[in-house]
Amino acid sequence: MAQIRDIKTGRVGAPPREPMPRRLAAIVAGDISGYSRLMQIDEEGTHNRVKRIERDLIEPSIVEHQGRLVKTTGDGFIAIFDSPVEAVRCSIVIQQNLIGRNAALPKHHWIEYRIGVNLGDVIIEADDVYGDGVNIATRLEGIAQPGEVYISGGIYEQIKHKLVCGYESLGDRHVKNITDPVRVYRVLSDPAALQQNRKRREGVLIFLLGLALLFIAGGALWYMLSQTGKLPNLASAPVSPPAEVQQAPAAKQPAPPVQPAPPAPTVAPTQQQAAPQPEPSPAPKQAAPLLPSASPAAPTAQPAPQAAASVREPEMISLRGGSFAMGSNEDVSEKPIRQVTVKPFAMGKFPVSVQEWNACAAAKACGFTATGKDDAPVANVSWSDAKQYAAWLAETTRKPYRLPSEAEWEYAARGGTQTRYWWGDQFQPGMVNCKNCSDILITDQPVKVGSLKPNPFGLFDMGGGVDQWVEDCWHKNYQGAPADGSAWIENECPSRVIRSGSWRKDSSYARTANRGSYDTNVRYPTHGFRVALSL
Amino acid sequence: MKFMQRIVLAAALTCLPFAACAQGKPAHKEALLYFVWPQNGTIIKGGFWCRFGLRNMGVTHAGDTYPNSGHHHLLVDVNEPLNPNEPIPQDKSHLHFGAGQTEARIELPPGKHTLQLVLGDADHFPFNPPVVSQKITITVK
Repeated sequence: MAQIRDIKTGRVGAPPREPMPRRLAAIVAGDISGYSRLMQIDEEGTHNRVKRIERDLIEPSIVEHQGRLVKTTGDGFIAIFDSPVEAVRCSIVIQQNLIGRNAALPKHHWIEYRIGVNLGDVIIEADDVYGDGVNIATRLEGIAQPGEVYISGGIYEQIKHKLVCGYESLGDRHVKNITDPVRVYRVLSDPAALQQNRKRREGVLIFLLGLALLFIAGGALWYMLSQTGKLPNLASAPVSPPAEVQQAPAAKQPAPPVQPAPPAPTVAPTQQQAAPQPEPSPAPKQAAPLLPSASPAAPTAQPAPQAAASVREPEMISLRGGSFAMGSNEDVSEKPIRQVTVKPFAMGKFPVSVQEWNACAAAKACGFTATGKDDAPVANVSWSDAKQYAAWLAETTRKPYRLPSEAEWEYAARGGTQTRYWWGDQFQPGMVNCKNCSDILITDQPVKVGSLKPNPFGLFDMGGGVDQWVEDCWHKNYQGAPADGSAWIENECPSRVIRSGSWRKDSSYARTANRGSYDTNVRYPTHGFRVALSL
Repeated sequence: MKFMQRIVLAAALTCLPFAACAQGKPAHKEALLYFVWPQNGTIIKGGFWCRFGLRNMGVTHAGDTYPNSGHHHLLVDVNEPLNPNEPIPQDKSHLHFGAGQTEARIELPPGKHTLQLVLGDADHFPFNPPVVSQKITITVK
């Protein structure tokens, strides 16, 4: 420690006392973002509100978590704690309470704190605390987003297995006046915060979807207007020749783009197909809504969007990735618990549905046509079947769709939690579809995707519904498993990993760490899968 | 009318696979499923190779519908009776050998355990009547 400074003034000093009262402490530094702006809007009001927050929220929270408020500055405070866990807990409590307090106010009146937490050897005096440990805490606070808690690597190491929340690694950061880079983590404090994140993303998605629908509708109109003269009875003839009864179960609904999927690259042949009636397989009913989706793309002559438009892609949710403790001590196969870092990726919001699967089957790229309701998860698929679907989807959409790795699956299933289930340590009915998990007897099994609750990442059926294949080869435990979130594979593996429980497995299989194995090429009626997308 | 016909046919076709599965395939009258090893009462140290024996029927890959053949399932410490109208469950105590395996490396925690073999058809349903082995008890040290 080259220099000991007062954090705010930069004054060198504080040597007076004889035995320097040094100790290791968790330092919490907080300050209000945009304080001067708030003061400009309403000086007295802001001052009063800040004082009230300090008196009603910050001071009691610190005391409650066995900490000590060292000092308050105009727009911030510094507190020390013996325990890193308590320090972070206290920070989360403060942030969550502030959300509640701000909720009733217009956005420009919000008082939002940024909080940094660091572990360091510091000098403690009655009314202040010194040391570069304090400086780092204030720097962390400085780079934190309003409403967020940023912690240093030292704190993270202490709390990672003890505090039930997610942590996002922000990598090594250089902070002002500190030579060594500091490892920074963002605390994903609660599911609500994640939910918010998701909503923002959903908003964008819905907007894009709306735009796409508008396009399709416009195309449909254009097509109908241009075709009315030629084929007057096309739209009003849903009855198809009896010859295609074989395909009836698959084609029941507005279902998948049956035939036109393979010849999609060019529009011309597709149109020709619709005109001559004797063509046995594509029912006119299906051909009609499909063509328009291809036609608006035609003028741009870009093959990629056109192909994408012809396939119903599974709904995906982007995940930021991060570090988490994978595994548990409940079963030998789930040991040892290790820290795994997952890169950003997108995960299917639901398991792949019968309708989505049958688009692949219709394109002759998947092995069989699935029966069951369109919105039920596809089941009775082997790992190889699942792999075929992912390969087909990647090819038709030109996007890197694939099966998730086991680490990605668990990261996604946990949704930032470290508990037994993604909703806590105790089982609760109505969260996932498993055997004897609900007092209501469900006769139709498996129930349609997304019938129950989403986890904090917004993913449905992570733990129930259907068992879900992942990319990894089966290994009886995690000894020697990669820590970078990639799939653990060898050349030939006779069995692969299945995750999640199913509607025929009891609640203990709904645990986020639960894992099982099954023969790579064998189908079983409860086995399904979801897809992942590399970002 | 044609439309109605189509609906009925579609419904019938949807139900067909379930109806076909509802009862297992007929088993050979003298089919015999048994443990080659371990035998009832064996005391074992650590992991072991469990070997499955089958007489008068054949072992095949799950999904293959050759007559008079099926694939093995090993039930570990299972007490509830088998439901002949449902596929054999797949979980930590119902091990499947759908690739046509006739032996498997088994690792169990120390203590007494029961083992039982059940032959499943192409769709993992038990045969009719069920082809099951004697339920044996072993002790793992």
